[in-house]
Amino acid sequence: MLKHLRKYLLFALLAPLFMLGEAGMDLLQPTLMSTIVDEGVLGLSNGGVGDPDIVLHTGIKMILLILAGAACGILSGVFANIAAQNFGNDLRKDAFHHIMHFSLAQTDRFTTGSLITRVTNDVTQVQNMVQMAIRGFVRTMILLAGGMICMMRLHLSFGAVLLIAMPLLLITMFLFLSRVTPNFSVLQKRLDDVNNVMQENVAGNRVVKAYIREAYETERFSAANEKLVSTQLQILLLLNYMTPIMNILMNLSLLAVIYIGGLNAQRFAVSPGHVMAAVTYLTQILNALMRMGMMFQNISRGMASAKRLREVIHTVAEITDGPRTDIPLSGGSIEFRDVSFGYAGRENILNHISFTVHPGETIGILGMTGSGKSSLIQLIPRFYDVTEGAVLVDGVDVRDYPLAALRSRIAVALQKSELFHRSIRENIAWGDPSADEDALWQAARTAQAEEFITAKADGMDTIVAQSGHSLSGGQKQRLAIARAVLKNAEILIFDDSTSALDLKTESSLYKALHTAYSGQTRIIVAQRIASVKDADRILVLEDGAIAACGSHEELLAASPIYQDICRSQTGGAANG
Amino acid sequence: MAEMQKKSISDYKLPGARRPMNRGAETEKAKDSKGTFMRMLRYFTCEKRAICLLLLMVLLGVVCGILAPRLQSSAIDAITQRNFGQLPRLLCCMAIIYAVSCLAAYLQGRESALISQRTVKQMRKDLFSHIINLPVGYLDTHSHGDIMSRMTNDVENVSTTISQSLSSLFSGLLTVCGTVMMMFLLCPPLAALSCSTVLFTVFATKYLSAAMRKTYAKRQALLGSLNGTVEEMVGGYRTVVAYEKEQLIIDDFTKISDELTGAGIRAEILGGSMGPVMNLINNTGFVIIAAFGGYFAFKGAISVGIISAFIVYAKQFGRPIDEIAQVWGQVQSALAGAERVFAVMNEAPEDKSGRKKISDLPPQPDISFAHVSFSYVPGQRVLTDFSLHVRPGQKIALVGATGSGKTTVVNLLMRFYRPDSGTIRVGGTDIMDISSDSLRDAIAIVLQDTVLFADTVRNNLKYADPDISDEEMIACARQCHVDSTIRRLENGYDTLLSADASNISRGQQQLLSIARAFISKPQILILDEATSNVDTRTERRIQDAMMRLMQDRTCLVIAHRLSTIRDADLIVVLDHGAIAETGTHEELLQQNGKYHELYMTQFAGQAT
Repeated sequence: MLKHLRKYLLFALLAPLFMLGEAGMDLLQPTLMSTIVDEGVLGLSNGGVGDPDIVLHTGIKMILLILAGAACGILSGVFANIAAQNFGNDLRKDAFHHIMHFSLAQTDRFTTGSLITRVTNDVTQVQNMVQMAIRGFVRTMILLAGGMICMMRLHLSFGAVLLIAMPLLLITMFLFLSRVTPNFSVLQKRLDDVNNVMQENVAGNRVVKAYIREAYETERFSAANEKLVSTQLQILLLLNYMTPIMNILMNLSLLAVIYIGGLNAQRFAVSPGHVMAAVTYLTQILNALMRMGMMFQNISRGMASAKRLREVIHTVAEITDGPRTDIPLSGGSIEFRDVSFGYAGRENILNHISFTVHPGETIGILGMTGSGKSSLIQLIPRFYDVTEGAVLVDGVDVRDYPLAALRSRIAVALQKSELFHRSIRENIAWGDPSADEDALWQAARTAQAEEFITAKADGMDTIVAQSGHSLSGGQKQRLAIARAVLKNAEILIFDDSTSALDLKTESSLYKALHTAYSGQTRIIVAQRIASVKDADRILVLEDGAIAACGSHEELLAASPIYQDICRSQTGGAANG
Repeated sequence: MAEMQKKSISDYKLPGARRPMNRGAETEKAKDSKGTFMRMLRYFTCEKRAICLLLLMVLLGVVCGILAPRLQSSAIDAITQRNFGQLPRLLCCMAIIYAVSCLAAYLQGRESALISQRTVKQMRKDLFSHIINLPVGYLDTHSHGDIMSRMTNDVENVSTTISQSLSSLFSGLLTVCGTVMMMFLLCPPLAALSCSTVLFTVFATKYLSAAMRKTYAKRQALLGSLNGTVEEMVGGYRTVVAYEKEQLIIDDFTKISDELTGAGIRAEILGGSMGPVMNLINNTGFVIIAAFGGYFAFKGAISVGIISAFIVYAKQFGRPIDEIAQVWGQVQSALAGAERVFAVMNEAPEDKSGRKKISDLPPQPDISFAHVSFSYVPGQRVLTDFSLHVRPGQKIALVGATGSGKTTVVNLLMRFYRPDSGTIRVGGTDIMDISSDSLRDAIAIVLQDTVLFADTVRNNLKYADPDISDEEMIACARQCHVDSTIRRLENGYDTLLSADASNISRGQQQLLSIARAFISKPQILILDEATSNVDTRTERRIQDAMMRLMQDRTCLVIAHRLSTIRDADLIVVLDHGAIAETGTHEELLQQNGKYHELYMTQFAGQAT
């Protein structure tokens, strides 16, 4: 991560340098003020006769210093910003670049939500941390160290006050924060509980009403609410001790400084101006100390984010281009050779699967939820790699292809039709950006989407809402199919992608597909027999193994499992 | 020197503590601030004593804050005038004042926490018990996320901000007045001079935040689109990979990210100069006091100690002025939050009234719909002149395309919604005359989306009837063939379901909801597409359970699968909110009408 900062090292160094200027000017002020008091007003070195000129000159000097300080401060801000934001930008781009090359198994492992937080929130945290480190932290450090030096230069005995006050302040702060911090996770848990009850009641409102449990639910909510509030109160009350205790420590040190100053003034060891300056320095130092405590909290938060980002950046993409450069001509054959597969760390979902799909053939894959259908087809475009065995496309192991070469010959319409928040046109053209208007409409027509697209006020230019919320399930699926069809690849895979279509639309879709794009190898994964019955062959998958294979008629005649599925879907009318 | 006094809990990101406001951000405002505020106050009326104590402590703190520097100046003067005998006495006085001030700060914080938490609790409780009694129609038409956020964020924001901000507003105003008064008392010309720096502060804040608002808005918009891209592309990563769009997406992202950085730098340079500018103004104030104070002291108009007092006073009254604007913004956004909360509370609760009880009716009541019409949105009829009579013990299947009004029939029968015209009778009595609690007690409903609670299986089953014994519950589960499924779960009946019941399968979820309906021993049963979320072979197991549940009961079944419908005594085909056909499966097939068409497109897998 440091290498991202190296590029902006100049700015990252200039920022603290100028901060030195700003904080330094701040530190000079109390000393100059003591000159005004001691020399200008009291005239200590002039036998008790003050000099208004000294007051005036010192005043002008102070103003100039202040202006210089402000200029330094603004410049320091500018440089810190340039360094931190550019650093954050590079980090963000790098992290995103990495994620875009992860395998699906890797994104599964991180989970989508966590990856999103890492690229957005964590980057911001780290960026803020860097900005704070080269600016705010430096300022605080200078004020702290410089203030101590200045104060002790006034008289060493003032140092004694600091020696006692500072550790006490730090210890108090540490004790409180270490007692409060664990409570925050309890608080989060309680908050989740309240939200959960709330969520259940809002979403399951009909059930609550149907079983007349409003009173019970109110009771349940009250209990969760009570717990949340009492935890929160506990934290608030604990923290509430902190401020007064810190204040009393600060004020006692102040009294000590004045008292010690008084004693020394009596012996002519310090001047009244010095006592005043010491009071000002003391406040500066103790405030800086407390800010430091807060900063450490921010830094620990930033470090946690940095760690999460490092995990992303240091993860090496698992699925990368294969070694083959002499790619075979595309034909569209697929072969599963004794394939077993399981998601990382879990038991195998597929066991010893072998079958071949010939070019131009249409294969149906039928099975219950969890039988391994989707996992099976995800092995073809190398979304995942097999655990054992091999998948071959056109006679070559998919792992030997350059990824782009492999995936360009496969089009997939996925179970979850992921659409993007853009126009319908762009969503379909995702399949082939070079496609012209005619090709787009032809794909839409094939996918039986033409009718509803034309019915929209903006037609093809209608913007699809975030995650496709503006469309019905069937419409989403048809757009996803149009997108896949437009790609016009040798191999077309439908992963349960027609489940929300009624049978009539589905059968028109298949008919249109046959006429418009013939010669394609197709794999159709489905739960409904009707979706696959026209396939050349149907594979019935059960518990990760092929339970039966054959045409609809063959299976109907010979396979008990197939007959069973048939019966369950048609209410007994298995005779077609 | 009470420098730290207001640096309270807000720095700890405690959920519930008031959030530090972004100076550049827009503040949202309540439409009716005054009305909302008055209503808000009602929540604090029972806190009168606590609020009085709070304000008293604020006052005490402010007085101490004003007295302490005065004493400090006397102490400095004692040193300057070499009057050292006075020093111990003065320091003792100061110590006492500081002690009192700390005590006041402690009590103030404590009262403020207690008040805000008690109100938050009360308000959230009120809101919840109101929401739970709202008509189903309200929840159907409002975003659940929005309701949730009112419940948590808004309520939290309202009560904490009000109690904390108001006390800091109060103390800020008092401090300003007291400090200014004290300064003028000590030295009017110096006081006037140091007040002039305040004008700078106000001017600089105003100018800078106006300039920042624009750049911040731009950055915010870009940040939104960046986050949107990340969410979409990482969420839809499979599709990105399947179409080899990685590089394209990275390029897009790089463009937005670079733009964001540019906008961010512009925004932050303005924002970052806020600190130095404020510092400049504060230091100028310091110099004014040091230089002019020195001059006045030289002239003998004031003592040196007064200069030191002024240094403290200037700081003390600059801070609240800077704060008041911010706090005011927070109060406004809290009021806007309160308005949203009250908007929910203003919704009329569900009308559950009715003189009669189901127990007054015959044990196996019939159901009749007479000329019922209904629309969710005025002008868009969903059900038109719907009439149907269901005899006791009859099983009726409602079929029809999506949007034909099947679920509406159920919604009306449950009194979730009220018909626009026509009447629905159960056992000969208009359901509007039957109290909805009693009506719903007699009806059990199994929905397409099973609703189970994050609780044990046992408690989920007993949800239908909390008084049922374990033996009875198990007997019921056994009768609908669910017992063995439950026993196979990790902890049997004590298995804890996670949120959304994601730790058991869809089929198991549906079986539990059927068993729950069974336990409620309903006279009337409604199944609303109860099996559409499970695959066909799992459905057959559920089917057995459903058959047991339907036995000897008046049933209304909304179904999309043939198997559920074939056994119905009567099939009612709905089309655009009206009954198109009625009859048995065979009769309707022969008619060759709507049902036949529906059958061909929806059910008959191989009817070619």
